[in-house]
Amino acid sequence: MWEHLRTWASRLWSWARMRRLEGDFAEELESHVAMLAEENLRRGLPEDQARRDALIRLGGMAQLRESYREQRGLPLVERLAQDLRYALRMLRKTPGFALFAGAALALGIGATSAVFNIADAVLLRPLPYREPTRLVMLWQDDTTYRFPRNNPSPWAFELWRKQNRAFEDMAALTHNSFNLLGRGEPEYLHADTVTANFFSVLGVAPALGRTFTADDGRAGAPLTAVLSYGLWARRFGAQPEVVGHNLLLNGAKYMVAGVMPRGFQFLDPQVDLWVPAQWDSGYIDDKKTDHFLKVVARLRPGISTQRAGAAMALLGKQLATGDMSDLTAVVVPLREQVAGDVRPALLVLLGAVALLLLIACANVANLLLARGSARAAELAVRLALGASRKRVIEQMLVESLVLSCAGGAAGLGLAVLATRFLGQLIPPGISNSGGPVVNVPLLVFAASVSIATGVLFGILPALRGSRVELVGPLKQGGRSNVGAGGQRMRNVLVVSEVALAMVLLAGAAVMIRSFEKLYHQDPGFRAEHVLTLQTRLQYPKYQSRARRSEFYRQVLQRVETLPGVIAAGYTTYLPLADSGGGSVVTVENHLVDPKHLLIANVRVVNPDYFRTVGMTLRRGRQLDRNDGSDSPRVAVINESMARTYWPGENPVGRRFKRGVLQSDNPWYTVIGIVADMRQGGMDVPVRPEAYFTFEQADFFPPDSLAVRTTGDPLTITEEVRRQIWVVDRDEPVAAVMPLQAMVEQSVAPARLQTGLLGGFAGIALLLAALGIYAVLSFVVAQRMQEIGVRLALGAQPAHVLGTVMAQGLKLYFLGLAIGLAAALMLSRLMTHLLFGVSAADPLSYACVIFLMAAVTLLACYVPARRAMRSDPIAALRYE
Amino acid sequence: MDEVKSEVLQGTLDLMVLKTLHALGPLHGYGIARRIEQISGQVLLLNQGTIYASLVRLLQKGWISAAWGTSENNRKAKFYSLTARGAKQLREETENWERIAAVMQRVLEL
Repeated sequence: MWEHLRTWASRLWSWARMRRLEGDFAEELESHVAMLAEENLRRGLPEDQARRDALIRLGGMAQLRESYREQRGLPLVERLAQDLRYALRMLRKTPGFALFAGAALALGIGATSAVFNIADAVLLRPLPYREPTRLVMLWQDDTTYRFPRNNPSPWAFELWRKQNRAFEDMAALTHNSFNLLGRGEPEYLHADTVTANFFSVLGVAPALGRTFTADDGRAGAPLTAVLSYGLWARRFGAQPEVVGHNLLLNGAKYMVAGVMPRGFQFLDPQVDLWVPAQWDSGYIDDKKTDHFLKVVARLRPGISTQRAGAAMALLGKQLATGDMSDLTAVVVPLREQVAGDVRPALLVLLGAVALLLLIACANVANLLLARGSARAAELAVRLALGASRKRVIEQMLVESLVLSCAGGAAGLGLAVLATRFLGQLIPPGISNSGGPVVNVPLLVFAASVSIATGVLFGILPALRGSRVELVGPLKQGGRSNVGAGGQRMRNVLVVSEVALAMVLLAGAAVMIRSFEKLYHQDPGFRAEHVLTLQTRLQYPKYQSRARRSEFYRQVLQRVETLPGVIAAGYTTYLPLADSGGGSVVTVENHLVDPKHLLIANVRVVNPDYFRTVGMTLRRGRQLDRNDGSDSPRVAVINESMARTYWPGENPVGRRFKRGVLQSDNPWYTVIGIVADMRQGGMDVPVRPEAYFTFEQADFFPPDSLAVRTTGDPLTITEEVRRQIWVVDRDEPVAAVMPLQAMVEQSVAPARLQTGLLGGFAGIALLLAALGIYAVLSFVVAQRMQEIGVRLALGAQPAHVLGTVMAQGLKLYFLGLAIGLAAALMLSRLMTHLLFGVSAADPLSYACVIFLMAAVTLLACYVPARRAMRSDPIAALRYE
Repeated sequence: MDEVKSEVLQGTLDLMVLKTLHALGPLHGYGIARRIEQISGQVLLLNQGTIYASLVRLLQKGWISAAWGTSENNRKAKFYSLTARGAKQLREETENWERIAAVMQRVLEL
């Protein structure tokens, strides 16, 4: 081992000062020859013969020096350096080719690397918790209520925690919010109430102070809080002394126990602080059917997700008693939870960039083949002079590697530029401090792709180019010649390009149609000119209903009378904001299986809310100001609820109530039906929904305010905030946002995915068109003399044009057929991403075929026209 | 097959060079070649140049060192000498060789 190392170190050292060493060796050999010659002289040989004999016995100076060189230096490196120099010279001689090939490769490699970078962040890079692959989320399987992944109730969580065998530990959390008072403006804080073991389950240590201990979670213990790094820096100037001090949250004192490190988050990047859950057994028994927890658990070492799932299904069966039948936990790996919906989109995009890269490769291979034919004479000379075929292949591969690596370097630059933009694809649940960056996996990926591409597009032309028959090209005096084989290979490449581009275009077209439908659907509300914000009235201050009622009345009154305001409305959930607020409902005279209770979203609003967000009344009447606490209880329902719970009937005048039949909740009479409004997102199916006035239903306090204005809604933000603070100076105003922005946010991922796929498809189309163009141009150039002769003999120019174009169109139709078949086969992979359009949408396909045909005709026409206009005289003279 | 054969030969030649330097002290390439020819009775080393391949190999392994000097005939020549590591290597190789030779001897006497 040591000897090897030493040998190579010595070789490297020698290589660095080869010139001097060679001189040295020549001198040494010279002295050897002299000594031998002297001896020969002594033996009586004549002088000239003495020296010649000496040279013979030494075995040839030149060979010795050559083998010395090989032995001392690094022959491989030298040959490589030589090839490199040669390749660079060749590329410099054809700058157009080098630029085009480099750009095509840069686009292909850049797009691939950029998407890989995102995929790495979302799908591969470990989540920032201890042994993250052992972390899973548990959901309560309420499939019978159409909630296959329901939030677990505290009761279910407690049973699972105590009785399971699959998990090391299990923690629960639920979203919470606080009004922070004290220095400065009141601030609305997002918090998670977590079981005391939450941080230890995740295995993350605080940056400062401590996290929670079991004591913090005991009912009645002094209140404590752990701050996020962001809140600590923003509100407390990153001062370490904050630890141990008290915060005033909702009027109660919380001692700051610690601060989490920068970038720490779990599922929700908005969370500002964590407080311990202090649940006693009474509370837990009371929360049997309130589903509001999220549960994260750490698998025991060596237990797989599947085994844990099976174990929890079994446990669910054992725990089931009477009315509590659905206690099975669904086990979801944390990675799957946070990557969620992005995964299929990322896979489709990865596929798309791979296709794009292949097209770029085919394109460059094609150009190289054409160039190879043009270089046939040069290669023939080299082969004739004794270069081995291996050596020629090696040299040509070095050329393509130079191209691909230059393209790769430029592509890496593109990828880094694109990363900021593509970073939006990363779901919020993945800790994303500063977004994806240039990192080792990206560099390794880009380098491997560059090398692989270089070999991929270089190998065919190299193999072909090195198989030149020597006589032909030499005899033709350097004029190039194409064999039928080369032309066939080029045709195959062009057909593949067209087919690949076809697949990409079809995918992009379907996506664009889908986005069109998503964006321009009727969402059931009119988003323009609506401002939304949140005021979360916190207990204990607003525990009394009268006090809350007074707050809403005053705020609405003040906001409504502001200049430029048309209407203002309070609601529990804004459109698109959330799909929560579901509740069991019982429809009068509608018998249900107790295992299949009816569910509806319940929304508590003021009557003006309908007008404010612009909902459409379909039947009956809206809620109005007369539907007060003393009037008959009434409700407005959406079309989905009417259709599903009163199928084929007119629900107006019928009654339903919250909860099961036996509950003592009051009945509500349906007085009107409104059009369905998107609740969870522009592409989330609408659930049955019912609206009540605050005076008649106070089960959820409305906390979202919508204001319809005459102009730009953001201009009245300050005024609205001021009016709210006149009513209560300590009430934070949070999440101020135009409703239109919520619509944009909801479609942003689809917009980005569509835009990316469209962009990739556009580049693919361009490359494929250039491919056809290049091949036809080449053919025309090759056949110039022949065409010239034909024209001279009286062939019709139109006929020549037709012949050449037919050749291009033949390739197009073949590629089209293959591409269409492949696109249809692959289309079902996209079903997940589509909204309101089939993956094999005929209109999209028709558009693509037309577009591709138009571009192909153009790409064929230009070289064909050149053929038609070729000058017979010039062609003949050339002959 | 050729590869193996030449390796054996190479190794043998290297061992002879080491032994020569051990026996005679610092010596130039010509001297080494001469000495090996004499001792082998002109059987080996038809081509004196091959000695240099061996010398480069040994230099690269650090078993010998080289320095310019003057020959007995007042001619400038490069002198090679055994290093400490080279001497150790020679001992090991010699034992190795003798063991193999002894085994071969016994096998052939069977």
